[in-house]
Amino acid sequence: MSRDKTNNSTAPRPLMAELPDDTSDLHFVPAPCQIACPVGTDAPSYIAHIWDGEYEKAYEAITATNPFSSICGRVCDAPCEPACRRTDSDGPVQIRNLKRFVMDKVGHDYDPPPLSVTQKQTVAVVGSGPAGMVAVHDLCESGFEVHLYEMTDRLGGMMIWGIPAFRLPQHVIQEDIDRLTQRCPGLKVHLNTALGTDISLDELKQRHDAVILAIGSWWGKKMEIPGEEDERVIDGVQFLRDINAGARPEMPETVVVIGGGDVAMDACRAALRLPGCEKVKVVYRRGSEDIPARKIELQGAIEEGIEFIYNTQQIAIEPTNSGLNLQCVTTEAGPPDEDGRSRPVVVENSEHFIPCGMVIAAVGQQGKCEHLNKKGMMLTDRVDTNWENMRTDDPKVFAAGDGAFGGSTIVMAMSHGQRVAYYVKAFLEGRDSPLPYKTPYKTRRVPVAQDQLWEKLPVQEPVFHGVGENPVEFPEIEDTYGREDALKEAARCYRCDAETGSTDYAVKHREDIFTMARTNPLDHNKLKDTLKERLGARKNPYPDERLATLDDLAFLPANLSRLVIDPYREACNTKTELGEGKMSLSSPFLVTGFDDAESDVKRDVGRGLALADCGYLGIKPLNDEIPWIQLVIPDQIEPSGKASGLIYSIGHKFKPVDAKRLNENQLLGISVSSSQTLQEAIPFALENNFDVLLLDATGALGSPWSELKGNPDISILRDAVNILRELDREEEIDLVYFGGLRSGTDAAKVIGLGGKVVVYGVVAGLAAGGQITDQHSMHFEADRTSDDRSEGVTSILKACANEASMMARCTGKTNLMNIEPEDMRAISSATAKATGIPVAGNAE
Amino acid sequence: MVQIDLAKDSVREANEKIRELGKKGEDIDIINPDARHHIGVGLTEPITVKVHGSAGYFCAGLTDKANFDIEANVGWGVGDNMYTGSVIVRGNAGAIPGVAIRGAEIIIHGNMGSRAGQVMKEGTLCCLGNANFMAGYMMYGGRIIILGDSGERVGEDMSAGEIYVAGNVTSLGSDAKQTDLGTEDDHDVREFLDRYKIPFTGTLKKVVNAGTKLRYAKSEEQVRSIPFFTFSGNSDYWNPKIQEDIHIKSQIGRYRVRGYGGARPLPHFNDIAFRKDLSRAGDDPDVISKVELSTEVGGMYGATPLKLSMPVMIAPMSYGALSRSTKQAIAMASAMSNIAENTGEGGMSDAQRDAADQLVFQMLGGRLGWNIHDMQRADGLEIYISQGAKPGFGGQLMAKKVTKELAEIRGIPEGIDLRSPSRHPDILGADDLVIKVEELREATGYRVPVSVKLGAGRVRDDIKIAYKDGFDFVELDGMQGSTGAGGAEVAEYVGIPTIAAITEALEALEEIDATGKLEIILMGGMRDGIDIVKSLALGAHAAAVGTSVLIAGGCIACMQCHVGQCVTGIATQDPEHEKRYKPEVEAKNIHRYLEGLRWQIAALTHAIGHKSVHDLNRNDLVALTPEAAEMTKLPYAPEYREREDALRAQVS
Repeated sequence: MSRDKTNNSTAPRPLMAELPDDTSDLHFVPAPCQIACPVGTDAPSYIAHIWDGEYEKAYEAITATNPFSSICGRVCDAPCEPACRRTDSDGPVQIRNLKRFVMDKVGHDYDPPPLSVTQKQTVAVVGSGPAGMVAVHDLCESGFEVHLYEMTDRLGGMMIWGIPAFRLPQHVIQEDIDRLTQRCPGLKVHLNTALGTDISLDELKQRHDAVILAIGSWWGKKMEIPGEEDERVIDGVQFLRDINAGARPEMPETVVVIGGGDVAMDACRAALRLPGCEKVKVVYRRGSEDIPARKIELQGAIEEGIEFIYNTQQIAIEPTNSGLNLQCVTTEAGPPDEDGRSRPVVVENSEHFIPCGMVIAAVGQQGKCEHLNKKGMMLTDRVDTNWENMRTDDPKVFAAGDGAFGGSTIVMAMSHGQRVAYYVKAFLEGRDSPLPYKTPYKTRRVPVAQDQLWEKLPVQEPVFHGVGENPVEFPEIEDTYGREDALKEAARCYRCDAETGSTDYAVKHREDIFTMARTNPLDHNKLKDTLKERLGARKNPYPDERLATLDDLAFLPANLSRLVIDPYREACNTKTELGEGKMSLSSPFLVTGFDDAESDVKRDVGRGLALADCGYLGIKPLNDEIPWIQLVIPDQIEPSGKASGLIYSIGHKFKPVDAKRLNENQLLGISVSSSQTLQEAIPFALENNFDVLLLDATGALGSPWSELKGNPDISILRDAVNILRELDREEEIDLVYFGGLRSGTDAAKVIGLGGKVVVYGVVAGLAAGGQITDQHSMHFEADRTSDDRSEGVTSILKACANEASMMARCTGKTNLMNIEPEDMRAISSATAKATGIPVAGNAE
Repeated sequence: MVQIDLAKDSVREANEKIRELGKKGEDIDIINPDARHHIGVGLTEPITVKVHGSAGYFCAGLTDKANFDIEANVGWGVGDNMYTGSVIVRGNAGAIPGVAIRGAEIIIHGNMGSRAGQVMKEGTLCCLGNANFMAGYMMYGGRIIILGDSGERVGEDMSAGEIYVAGNVTSLGSDAKQTDLGTEDDHDVREFLDRYKIPFTGTLKKVVNAGTKLRYAKSEEQVRSIPFFTFSGNSDYWNPKIQEDIHIKSQIGRYRVRGYGGARPLPHFNDIAFRKDLSRAGDDPDVISKVELSTEVGGMYGATPLKLSMPVMIAPMSYGALSRSTKQAIAMASAMSNIAENTGEGGMSDAQRDAADQLVFQMLGGRLGWNIHDMQRADGLEIYISQGAKPGFGGQLMAKKVTKELAEIRGIPEGIDLRSPSRHPDILGADDLVIKVEELREATGYRVPVSVKLGAGRVRDDIKIAYKDGFDFVELDGMQGSTGAGGAEVAEYVGIPTIAAITEALEALEEIDATGKLEIILMGGMRDGIDIVKSLALGAHAAAVGTSVLIAGGCIACMQCHVGQCVTGIATQDPEHEKRYKPEVEAKNIHRYLEGLRWQIAALTHAIGHKSVHDLNRNDLVALTPEAAEMTKLPYAPEYREREDALRAQVS
C-alpha cells in the first residue's frame, strides 16, 4: 500500500521565529494528548513511527522537546493519557509505555551532535532538577554558555533523589543526563555548590548575564501535630533521599505513611521493600476518589499489598512500649473547597489509633533558602516569581520549577524550564516585551497506521512484577513492552492530529465542532471566538490552474423524475460491440500497455483478460486466446492478419494512411492523439468506412505507460463528438477512448460523453501488481504469484464493469450504453468547458 | 354491524368512522366501494370489514388485527404493510398484493398481479389462481402460496421465506432455487388452506433463496483514510488514493463501500460570503433573545407542524447504521434543544420515541421497521426517495451490523449483507406517489405532516413533482450528505452539491408559480451556524444536521462506519463497542453543539441586520468562486475573501 506523501501545499506559516510551531498548517490540529503535555510532545507522530518500526524517527519526535525522555518513559505522570480521546472508549493509548519502549530500544547509545556555543553571554542556573536542566538544555540550544550550580554531588534533583529505583533505575537517569551533558559542551557543571553557603546570588549575578533559580521543593512540610519530633517520625522526602543515596535501613514491622501524593506512594512502596518491614499502611484524610496519587501508582501499591486507610486524619503521635500510636480521627466529605474537592470534615467521637513502629510524613513539600529569604526574594515556601515573565523582583534573576511555583510533576517542571529559557533568551537579546510564551506544537506528519485491528485492540498491559524476587534490591516493577505489544498499542491511536479523509469534515472542522460541543452555551466569548474563526473563507478548491478532469463530472440520479422498477440488484447490461458486430465485448473495455512487459507479466495479464472476456490493444498480441486489436504504426509496424482489428496510428498530424482490412471481419480504424487532427481525420475515417476512431487523450498512445506522463486532455472527446454531430454522422463510427481512466466511474462518464469503448492501461498495470516508478513508468516486482496477477486483472475489470453499471443504474438506466450527457453535470467551470456538460444547478 | 355507504361518505370520512366504530368493536359493511383507494387504511381494531364490491389501491393497508373480506377485485397493494389480521379477496388482485406484510394472512381467490409479496417479512399470501411476474420479489420472510402458476422469475432476489407453487414454476428469479418440499411444510400449507376452507389436492413445489447473493464473497480490506488533500484539488493524477482504490478493487472485484459522504472538495458554503461586515457579530452576549428563531415545519396545508425552537432539525439517520445508544443520545439532545429528530430507515424504538419530543418517522422502499403503530405515534412521516450520499441507491448495512436485535426490528434475516431496495414497491412514478402520500395521511388521520427525503440530482424535476404530489415539506440532501455505508464512487460522483440543489429547487418552484408554497429543509454538509444561515439566505426554510451531530457526540471522522466496529461506539451494533458510548454524556455534548448553532445563527442574523431568521435572503450573500456563483446565481465577488480572512486573523 502506498502511503501519502503528506505534501504541504499549505506550508506552515511560522508564528514568530522564536516560537516555531505548526498550528497554522491547515491540515494539522494538535491532538489532545499533545496539548495536555506541558512540553508539547508530538505523541501521535512518535506513536505512528513506532507502528512503522521507525524507532529512530520516533526517538527524534520524543526527545525534540524533552531531554529527559528516558526518565519520562518510566515515571512521567503522563497527563497525555487521561486527555487521550480513547480514554472514554476502551482506555487511553499507553503513551508513556510506548515512549519507554522507544527509549529502551534506541535511547542507550544515541550520540547526539554537540550544540556549539555561539553567544558571548552566560547564564547561571541554580539547581539541576528537571526545571533547571531543561532551561540549561534550551539555552545551550540557543548557543549560550550555561553554568549549573548544584548543591548535591549529583545532577538530577528530585528525579535522582526523589524517585526510588524500582520505578526509575539509576542507569535510566544517567542515560538522559549523559546525553544532555554530551550534547551541551557549553554546560559547565558546579557540583556540591549550594547557594548561600558556597556561592552567593551577588557572585552569580556578577559572573553571569542572567540567573535562573530552580531550587526545587526540596523539604517536607511538617504535619504540625504533637509528637512529630519523635525520631521514629520521619519526613518522606528525606526518607527517599536516603534510600536513593543507597541506604537500606532496617524497618519496624509496621510502617504508616501519611499522605496521598506521589511522595507518599514512593515512600510506602520503598518502605515495603526494606528489611524488617511486614506491613505498610497509608493514611489519607479524604476518600479514595480524591486521592491525588496517579492511578497507576496507587494500583501498583495496592497490588503490592499496601493497605490504604481513607478518611482518616492524624492528630497526634504517642510513643508506646513497642513503638508508636498514631492517633487519628475519622473524616467525611464536606462541602467543596477552592479546588473543587470536598473538604474533609471530622466525625465527632471518632478518635482511634493506629499502632506502628514508624511514621513517614508525606504531607507536602516546600522550597527553602535562607540566603534568598534574607534578600526578601522568598514567599513562605518558594521564590517570589511572576508567572507572566518568570522574573523575580531582581531584573537579572529569573526562577522556575517547584521552587518557584510549588510542588508539581517532572514534566510540569520541565515546561517551566522551557518557559524560563524563553524569557531569559528574550532578556539577553534585549527584547523587553516578547510574545507571551506558548508551548509550540510541531507535527511530523506521519501517515496513520494501517492496522486492521485498530478499533478492536484493547489496552496492552506491560508485565507487572511488583516487589519482585529480591525486594531490597529494588528491581523494576514492570517490564518494557515487547515489540508485538508496542505495535498493538501504537495501532490503537486515533491520530487526532492527522488530516481526515473528508474535506467537509476536515480535521479543523471536526475540532471546531468538538469545541462547540464542549462550550458552555453561556460562555459568549468562547462562542464569539469560534464563530470568527469559522467565518474565514477557504482557498478556492477549483483554482484556475486546476485542469478539466473526469473527476469533476457528477451523475444525476434518477429519483422521482424517472420511472424505474428497482434496478438495484438487477444486472445492468454492459454488452457492447465495435464495428457493427465485428467485435462483441461483454463490457466496453479494452486493455493496453503490456507490449514491452516481461513475458511472465504478459502471460499472466493475458490470462486475466481471457477470464474477464476482455480484448487487448497493442502492437503485439498478448496470447492467442483473447481478441487483439493491433495498433499499427504506419511505416514501422506491419499490420497482422491475425489481429481482430487494426488501428492505424495517426498521432498529432494528419496524414492519410493506406489502411485496409486484411480479412473481411477485421475491425479497421485510426487513432488520433490531438484535437487539431480531428477536423481532417474524421471525414477521412468516415470516407474510408472505418469502424473505429480511437481518441488518445494522453497524446502518446503507443509509448509505454503514456498515461503516467501527465493529465489527459479530455476535450478531445468533446471535439470528436461535436464534429461528428455537425456532420450528422454520429452513428457511423465507434469512438474508443484512451487516457487516464482510473475506474468504472470514469468509464461510465466517457460513455456518457459519447465513447463506446474505453481502454485501460495503468489501471490494469496496477491491478497486476505493477508499481509506478519515479520515471513515470511501471515496474513489476517478482513478489506476486502468477495467479495473483491474473486474478488482479480479472477482478479490476469486473469491478470496473460493476462500478460503471452502478452509475448507469443510478441514473435510471439498465444499459450502460444508454448513459447520456444529460445524465451528468460538471462541478468545475474548466470541466464544463472541456466536456460541454453544464455546471450543476444549470439545465442543459 | 354498521353500514357505510361510500356513495355518500368520502374515503376519509369513512375511514374515520371505521376507526371510531372499531374502537367500539362494531363490524362494518361497506357498500358502493366503487374501487376507491385506501379503504380501511389505518385500522387497528379486531373487527371485520366487508367490502361489497371492488376496492382500489392499498385496501386494508397499514392495519393491524382487522379482518377484511372483499367481494370482488382489489387494486394495487392490498394489505400493504399489514401486521396481523386477514384479507380475503374474492376476485383478482392488482400488483404487489401483500407488499411488506408483517404477519397478516391474505387470500386471493382469483389471480394476482406482479411482484406479489414484495419485501414481505412475515405472514402468508395465498393466491388460488395464477401469479404474475416476480412473485416474492425481495421478500425477507413469510410464505407465499400460489395454487396456480408462479409467473416469471418467481422469488427474484428473495432473502428468506418460502414460496409454494402448485402449478408451473414458469421461471425462477435471480438467487432463487427450487428445493425439496418437507412433509412438515406440506402439512403446514394444507392446514392453512383447510383453515380458510380452500379445497386442494394437488402437489406443491417449494422455492427458496439460493444463497448466492446474501453476502459479499470477499470482504474488503479495511484501510484508514488517506488525508483528503492527497487525492483532491491539484493532487497527482495517479495519487495514493487512486492507487489504493485500484489495489483493493483488484482484490474484491467490485465497487468499494465506505461510510461518510464525499471526500473531495466541492463548491460549498465556504465559497459563499456574507455581504455585511460581520466583524462585530456576537458582540452582544444576549443576541439569542433579539432574533426570532422559532420555525414551524410542515403546517402549511393543515397538518400539525413540527415546532422547532430554531430552524434546525436532526437529519435522518438509522438505528442500524448507528448504535441504539447513539440514537438515544441524539433523541435526548434534540429534546433538550427543542428541535425534531428523525428515525431514519431502521424503525422506531420505544426509548427513542420517549427521548425525542418531536420525532419524524421515515419510510423506505424495504419498509424495514415500518408499521402502523409507530406511524401513529410519530410527529411526522417521511417517504425516503433517496439521499445525498447515495442517491438512486438503497441503503447498505453490512452483515456485521445485522444483529439479531436489529434484524427483529427491521423484520429481516439476521447476518445478511443487507442491501435495501432503492425503490419503493408501490412508487414507480409521480402518480403512484400521490396515492401513497394519501395512504399515509389516511392512516394517521391527516394529523401529521408528510415529507419527502430527496437526494439532490434532477432537483428541478423532482421538486416540481414533490410539490404537485402534495408533500408538506421536502428534506433536500446535497451530495455532501453522509451515510453509514454506500458505494465510495457514488458518494463521490453522484448528485449535485448542496448549494446547487437549493438554488435549483427554488428556481423550480418559481417556474411553476409555487414560490413559498413548499418548505425545503436543506442538508448535506452543514457544520455550523454559518452554513445554516447561508442555507436560509439561499432560501431554505430550515436546515438539518447529521454528521456534525455525530462528531459533537464523539465521532472522530475516521470514515470506517461501514466496518461495523466503530471505535467510539457510534456506528456499530457490537455490544462490546457500543458500551464505549455514554449516551447521557454525549447527549449533553450534542446539546451544547446545538446550542452553539443557535447562538451562531442568532449572532449572524443579528449582525446582518435582521430581526428574524426568516428575513434572511439572497441579497445577504455573494459568491467567492466562479463555480459557487454559477451554482447559486449569486454575484461573483472574490474581493470579499480578504475580509473573511481578516476576520479569522482577529482570533489568532
